[in-house]
Amino acid sequence: MGPPLLLASILALTVVAQALLPSYRLLLTLGGAALSCAVAALTGVGTTRAIFADVPWDVMILLVGLGFLAELLVATRVFGVIAAAVTRWSRGEPRRVLVLFAVAMYAVSGLVNNLTALLLVLPILLILLKLLGVGQRYLAWTLGVLLVACNLGGAATPIGDFPAILLLGRRVMTFQGYLWAAAPPTVVALAALLVVVMVRVRPERGLVREPVATRLSLAVMGALYRKVRLSWRLFLPTAACLLAMLGAWVWVPPSSGVGPELIGWLGVGLALAVLPRTGERVIRAKMDVEAVLFLLSLFVMVSAVRQSGVFDSIGRGLTSLPVPSVIQLVLFLLLAGILTGLFSAGPSMAALLDVAASLAARLSPTAVYVGLALSVCAGSSLFLTAATSGPMTQILTERADLRDPLGAPVRFGFFDFLPVGLLSFALIQTVAIVYALLLVAGSLF
Amino acid sequence: MSRLGPAVASAFHVAAGELGMCSAAWLFVREVAAEGGEPLVSELRDLLGRAYPVLDAVAGRWLEGSREPKVGPDSVLAACEGASRLLVVGIEAMFLDALLPKLGQTRATLLAHSSFPVDWERVVANHERRLETVELSSLHRLAGRRSALLTFLYGTRGESTWVDPAWLRVMGADVRTQFRSIVGWDVLGSVMYLYPRWLSEAPASDFSHLVRA
Repeated sequence: MGPPLLLASILALTVVAQALLPSYRLLLTLGGAALSCAVAALTGVGTTRAIFADVPWDVMILLVGLGFLAELLVATRVFGVIAAAVTRWSRGEPRRVLVLFAVAMYAVSGLVNNLTALLLVLPILLILLKLLGVGQRYLAWTLGVLLVACNLGGAATPIGDFPAILLLGRRVMTFQGYLWAAAPPTVVALAALLVVVMVRVRPERGLVREPVATRLSLAVMGALYRKVRLSWRLFLPTAACLLAMLGAWVWVPPSSGVGPELIGWLGVGLALAVLPRTGERVIRAKMDVEAVLFLLSLFVMVSAVRQSGVFDSIGRGLTSLPVPSVIQLVLFLLLAGILTGLFSAGPSMAALLDVAASLAARLSPTAVYVGLALSVCAGSSLFLTAATSGPMTQILTERADLRDPLGAPVRFGFFDFLPVGLLSFALIQTVAIVYALLLVAGSLF
Repeated sequence: MSRLGPAVASAFHVAAGELGMCSAAWLFVREVAAEGGEPLVSELRDLLGRAYPVLDAVAGRWLEGSREPKVGPDSVLAACEGASRLLVVGIEAMFLDALLPKLGQTRATLLAHSSFPVDWERVVANHERRLETVELSSLHRLAGRRSALLTFLYGTRGESTWVDPAWLRVMGADVRTQFRSIVGWDVLGSVMYLYPRWLSEAPASDFSHLVRA
């Protein structure tokens, strides 16, 4: 077995192992990264220094910085205020609860990473569902749609989730280029999903609603948030820095040498410095070390494989398939969706971005990269285990100990999510392919 | 057929944890009465009274004509006079809402310990800059001759009174000497006739000041 195949096998095996044994995820990926470095060094593929030099540190800086910004936003209580308002607007009606929370989750996920968005909004929804007393079917569809909305929101903006951040950090797309290209199809996909769920699935069917229970639920929610207000002292400087960063991402040209990662670093640094007490606390206690180490390990493995030339070979193989380029693109997007469903977004995106470059050289780069981000979003929505937010939702739901109106426990597990996942995957993947083909067609004329 | 579904029980459990037994009971009785009058309050009492005796007592008071609790904090403020720090054990949202704005320079700290699920950040967020939390393990830092200790009582009978179980984790012979005043605020204002589930019995002599609603 030659070094390229050996390094690719280490990457593949590690990705499979961490998917099968999520409780040992960090141990496995860090071990896989170390093994990759050792094999690369011993076979002459590249030194550890060279592999680390190839790690996209700008992406890591963006990820860490945006994580800090999300924590600052959490401290402002803005998301709690939004979720409480959404609860009021829902009036405790199941259909409105599903739609409004899905839209809110989509919006929040566009600003902060999916896991943070979920941890902010889900507990409030779970309390409302507990107060209302909902059935198994309604719970599965509501939480399922919420997770998919979270994935779509993350894919809608260049700072919402890792795949988009990677595109921004690698400078294969500009901030505004990604935003204008990716936000519309995610809105279309969310609207399509909500229409199908509300018109065809009707998850609220069979629920027995009591006006007293609804009244009590809303009264309790109102009391729990009776005096929770936005902290303007924290919100104003944080929002000002975020707006300044958005402006800089849009208007500062890449030719100036100031890239998106530097804008993120400076902007988040300023926000933390303006609020020194909160800022220091956030830096010391709130960094998501797990996510950073996981992604760093993936980047190291991918870098080793890249240096061995495997991705170039796959790219050449894909582009030399005896089918038109657009069919190659469709096959690539389908492959991205399925791989993400099996192995999650981080590994898929990190590995496939290099292969995408070969397609982007011949087709519209926007079509290839936005199609890839949407396909990764479709894959993240396929299984409950495909994205980190899925198991987290399962854990939070179990802790909430929800019960139906007859007192029987209701759950949210892998198979409860599966119908939502299959429907969402089909819808988002279709939108991804159709949209990418439209962009390709548009670039031709 | 009852208009109160089984979900009402879990709804009350959530409310009792984060608002306090007495505050949650008044909220439920008020809302249920607005929807179905005294017959529905009686139904609520029959449905949940045994599981939540504070709710039973509050519903009983409602049916006797009482329409709101007495939450005047003046006697508590008097009992805490001279204290620069107030440690609160247990949650009663209605009573804390009335007390905390009147504390002036006195810093209030809530013990973050409960047998119910509680989102402590949300509890504190309802009292912007007036309340902070402390873990049980760090409690000793708040003791001192300028510190007062407060908990909520759910009725007194003779030498006995009923408190949040967290109180028993805090109170002891050594603690009594570490605070300038130990205040028990009887928020129920009546005696429970059912087994006081969720609560613990404590001697009234634990307290330097007993304040009745």
